[in-house]
Amino acid sequence: MLEIKNLHAKVEEKEILKGISLSVKPGELHVIMGPNGAGKSTLANVLAGRDKFEVTQGEIQFNGQSLIEMLPEHRAGEGMFLSFQYPVAIPGVNNMYFLKAAVNAVRKYRGESELDAVTFLKMIREKLKVVELDDSFIHRPVNEGFSGGEKKRNEILQMISLEPKLAILDETDSGLDIDALRVIAEGINNYRNNDRAFILITHYQRMLNYMQPDFIHVLMDGKIVKSGPKELAHELEEKGYSWI
Amino acid sequence: MSFTNYQNEFQKLLDRKYFSSEMHPLRKDAFTKLEACGFPTQKWEDWRFTNLSALTENHFLISEIKDAPQNNIDISQYKMDGIQTIVIYNGHFQQDISSVPEGIELLSGAEYSKQMNGQLFHSENSPFDLLNTAFMDSGVCLIVAKNTSIETPVRVLFISNGDNSIMVNPRIYIDIESNSSLMFIEEHVGDATLFFQNEAVYITIEKNSEVEHVRIQSNSMNTHNMANLHVKQLEYSRYKFYQYADGGKLSRSNIYVDLDGENAECNINCLSLSRGNQHIDNSIKVNHNTPHTYSSLLVKSVLFDNSTGVFNGRTVVKKDAQKIEAHQSNKNLLLSKSAKMNSIPQLEIYADDVKCSHGSTTGQLDDDALFYFQTRGIPKNEAFVLLVSGFVSEVMEKIKFEPLKNYINQKINSWIA
Repeated sequence: MLEIKNLHAKVEEKEILKGISLSVKPGELHVIMGPNGAGKSTLANVLAGRDKFEVTQGEIQFNGQSLIEMLPEHRAGEGMFLSFQYPVAIPGVNNMYFLKAAVNAVRKYRGESELDAVTFLKMIREKLKVVELDDSFIHRPVNEGFSGGEKKRNEILQMISLEPKLAILDETDSGLDIDALRVIAEGINNYRNNDRAFILITHYQRMLNYMQPDFIHVLMDGKIVKSGPKELAHELEEKGYSWI
Repeated sequence: MSFTNYQNEFQKLLDRKYFSSEMHPLRKDAFTKLEACGFPTQKWEDWRFTNLSALTENHFLISEIKDAPQNNIDISQYKMDGIQTIVIYNGHFQQDISSVPEGIELLSGAEYSKQMNGQLFHSENSPFDLLNTAFMDSGVCLIVAKNTSIETPVRVLFISNGDNSIMVNPRIYIDIESNSSLMFIEEHVGDATLFFQNEAVYITIEKNSEVEHVRIQSNSMNTHNMANLHVKQLEYSRYKFYQYADGGKLSRSNIYVDLDGENAECNINCLSLSRGNQHIDNSIKVNHNTPHTYSSLLVKSVLFDNSTGVFNGRTVVKKDAQKIEAHQSNKNLLLSKSAKMNSIPQLEIYADDVKCSHGSTTGQLDDDALFYFQTRGIPKNEAFVLLVSGFVSEVMEKIKFEPLKNYINQKINSWIA
């Protein structure tokens, strides 16, 4: 599904990704861990198409298509989703309006008919239940005045509404209390299937108590320095990154 | 600066047979004062960001009978349901297609002056007040007696059309007696190739009354708009002002509010959308003259291309005006590298027990927000429209009359797209 080969990327002349290779198959859950400044968020942003990062070398294939020249909105249409570490607040834009615009833009890209207001509302009410949020939530401006937990639930709400093939979750677990963590982990677990893959970027292994990753990768100084099964996360938790 | 043109036009106006000569002393007095001070230059502190040279470089002529419409005019494109409209075309009142809701007394300037025994209230806050008094032409006076709520909004539709370079000086009086309310709309439209409109609006709101005032400035890109608004509020009165401006080449709104009675409250909301070489200046002065008065200013501008803007907000709290509350907020969005905004929020406080705040921000569209929308599949151009709409939405949000709010929202959306 996703093939990253020898990926190098820089921002303002500073090289951050220094040769990353990663292969993700449908149905898999990959976890990327690593210390601050290792390049985890950069990798997520490069995959989603942020133009302030320049890819200088390597390639990214997503479902057989090269991603590097593709616009972020087309990547979303192709089935890529990024849950942001710090989702931006957008005063004045109603959350429901935003969600509807997003869902319909993606449907349009995929050649599906756009949802009318009634069908959309029905669909979104079902999804709200999954993330345990009430209806009033979608009538507020996007992320404006949301608590940390609400922002992350809103990200998951968007994810399950857009039905991506690959979801990249950038520190979706940080800053959450146990309840929010459980809701989000369950949201992801219920959403896993054989066709859909996840990349979870995290600092902590506590999220992994709720889920079953296939691979753990350790990203340090712009490179993946170690990969292994779930147990690797426990080891990192105990010994820290200097052990590697 | 040459005033010859204005002197010639003033003489023409005095020679008019159909203008009441009873007003002449007032006009002459104002014109003499205007000649003495001249138009503001950029050396004047309150005018330093607005270049008015176009007003003397162009020869504006007073509007003559020939500038009135020769045939019936079609105003269907400005149709709004549920309101009544007074039409002024190039300074000429169009009686046949004008009406006001029941309960409002509509008078011409001359009739109003007679009713006031010739004691017309007028201000001399700026040279443009003097210019208006000297040349005042289309007079519209709306009087609402006490204990009268006018449910139907009334609109004055100013149409400026044609190829002659015309100057008009509309004069509007709105007197709302106690325990009454009115929704007043002024809409400025037209396709004039060169036009100068210098309007003066005087609003008096007596005890416990409310006025919602919406000003829509969507006239041609060759119009010079000078709007001089004077509001006087007595106790427990409420004044809500909304200005939407996307038209005009050079525009300045001088807004003066006097909170003269305790518990008077005003909310001033302005939204300016400019492109090309447009210049939109909003200068607002609120005087808290008595204790327990409230004011809030919300002024936003979106600027494209080489357009420029000014926000000059001045809130003055008099020495004995304790326990007042005053807020100012100015936010500007620059959508090109060459657009320019000047923001001067000022608080002048001479009392010591007050609650005041002011803030001003000017910035570009948030890249993070654009990217966020794109990652959700929303194409960049659509994301842009959503974000700009989001930025402006709160300014006109509280307009109570839905058809009007929708009318303005449509204008906003077509402007952004």
